[in-house]
Amino acid sequence: METRPLFPALDRQIYGKPLIYFDNAATAQRPRSVLELQQRMSVEANGNIHRAVHRLSAYATELYEAGREAVRRFINAPARENVVFTSGTTASINLVASCFSQRYLAPGDRILLSEAEHHSNLVSWQLACERHGASLEVLPVDEDGELSLPELDRRLQAAEGRIKLVALTHISNVLGVVNPVREIVETAHRHAVPVLLDGAQGIVHAPVDVQALNCDFYVFSGHKIYAPTGIGVLYGKRKWLDAMPPYMGGGEMIETVTFEKTTYAPLPLKFEAGTQNYVAAACMAPALELAQRMAEDEGLQAAQRTMRDYLLAELTKIDGLRLYGTPRKAERKIPLFSFTVEGAFAGDLAQILDKMGIAVRSGHMCAEPLLRRYGQTSMLRASLAPYNTLAECEAFMASLRRAINMLR
Amino acid sequence: MNTIQDIQAGIVEEFAVFTDWMDKYEYLIELGKEMPLIDEKDKTDEHLIKGCQSRVWLACRPENGRLRFSADSDAIITKGIISLLLKVYDNQTPADILAADEDFIGQIGLKENLSPTRANGLVSMIETVKQYAKHYAGMPGEARHDGDGKDGKGLEDEIILALRQVYDPEIPVNVYDLGLIYDIQADADGVVFIKMTLTAPNCPIADEVVAQVQEAVSDVPGVKEVQVDLVFEPEWTTDRMSEEAKLELGML
Repeated sequence: METRPLFPALDRQIYGKPLIYFDNAATAQRPRSVLELQQRMSVEANGNIHRAVHRLSAYATELYEAGREAVRRFINAPARENVVFTSGTTASINLVASCFSQRYLAPGDRILLSEAEHHSNLVSWQLACERHGASLEVLPVDEDGELSLPELDRRLQAAEGRIKLVALTHISNVLGVVNPVREIVETAHRHAVPVLLDGAQGIVHAPVDVQALNCDFYVFSGHKIYAPTGIGVLYGKRKWLDAMPPYMGGGEMIETVTFEKTTYAPLPLKFEAGTQNYVAAACMAPALELAQRMAEDEGLQAAQRTMRDYLLAELTKIDGLRLYGTPRKAERKIPLFSFTVEGAFAGDLAQILDKMGIAVRSGHMCAEPLLRRYGQTSMLRASLAPYNTLAECEAFMASLRRAINMLR
Repeated sequence: MNTIQDIQAGIVEEFAVFTDWMDKYEYLIELGKEMPLIDEKDKTDEHLIKGCQSRVWLACRPENGRLRFSADSDAIITKGIISLLLKVYDNQTPADILAADEDFIGQIGLKENLSPTRANGLVSMIETVKQYAKHYAGMPGEARHDGDGKDGKGLEDEIILALRQVYDPEIPVNVYDLGLIYDIQADADGVVFIKMTLTAPNCPIADEVVAQVQEAVSDVPGVKEVQVDLVFEPEWTTDRMSEEAKLELGML
């Protein structure tokens, strides 16, 4: 399957050099199908959803709900009620951190998360813990970036019911290691503790079947999986979504309103107060349709593995380069590489690579505790998407070597 | 002493020879490697400016009415740019620093490094340099930059006006322009701390001068309490006098 022509942003020159976009873990480029729907809806279906009877509104509502149905299918959620639209992963986590905690978190309780969490899945819980007198329990990662299931089991056992939720990343945005989420959910459930999975990276690189995973919550953003920014998903099991109080009050989340009492709209609208980003939500349909096709394309998948293996081999050849997130089985590594190079600071490398037309990420990558665990304040990260090519990987390696030489 | 404009013009000229970014970066990397490091004891969290890309340390100490800066960064290109900025700001008076702009960074094609999104600490570094300059703007021997009414500057200006009404009994110049006032700190509650000296340690009417200062500053609207700390270290010299005072006394 030929992917590059589908993404107009890839066909660009940066400082007169062809763009090599290796910052896909931050945001992915958008395909024509998404761009066209965005444009078409803005012209043909710009009427506020769920509210009016007029044609534009009805059309927008139809497309919005089609976006939800596409999400439901993509993650195999049992029903549309399980799929709540938010503005992104961060908003989804904050919703759960706020509403779940309000109902279930009491002084002395704990939320278990890992050392490898993105700040979104850390600070939201810190805030919730502060509000409810609870605290965080942090599961460490080892040198290779792996979580320990026996350690998780031990912590849950020792907590004697005080851990109220396990909130873990499916794939860390720094380590790129696919965590054993099914086993994590099983372990937590043995102790009757629900699990939230941060799927910001997971949704892109691993098949996600929320019923098979049996997780209680799964959250992700649209913009990392080829949809526009400003749309995200909260999948939740019915029992939790029903039990949780609403997040924000406003339009569309109500059933009846009087000054004395308001009853809330049924799921999922209960959590969708205010005018939603209905254009972006609708765009989830073409975005996920393409994601599905790319995931099923054998040739593309093989090419991705080739790129991953090539970069793994080439990066480790560089003197003084340290790679983070190195699982024993390469199959569990996604094409995402965070590293540091002795004598060449990550921020400097990123700045020089930028001038060579290469977009990579540098800095603490919103995971300061994890970087500190490895004794670093900054790393360089190259993260690939199915539309990247081996030729780009080769150009990247040559440019990286040149940049390192400039700095050493 | 070269003026800030001269130094900036010199840098712009220096960069004019570079035709592509590669040469520019190589030069910045060289500058970064050569830059005298900050004193290890100054590389503390107190002096740390944090960006999400890289960290910058910046220390400042006043020296003869001028500010001396030393800095460091973990990113070498950032360090190279810091080295350019220090060429401009180091060893200048607070007033000149406050009046300077950073346009030359744009002129040498490094503007992107100062965009807020670069998050490399440089933008905050310039802000910090200017804050230091504001803080030291009232120090003796230094022509004051006009306060903008922010950060309690308005109050400080009023205090200085009041101090200018107090005269040394032996010299027809007010205590402020004589350079007898070493420090003025006004807190949010209207408590003012004044650190001052006298022209000679054995001044017979020391108490009287201190009382006059206390009285004059107490009358400033917004001031609730005045605490005067009389010190003789560092020792006062005629160098601390303002240009106006020297002119007044026929020393220029």
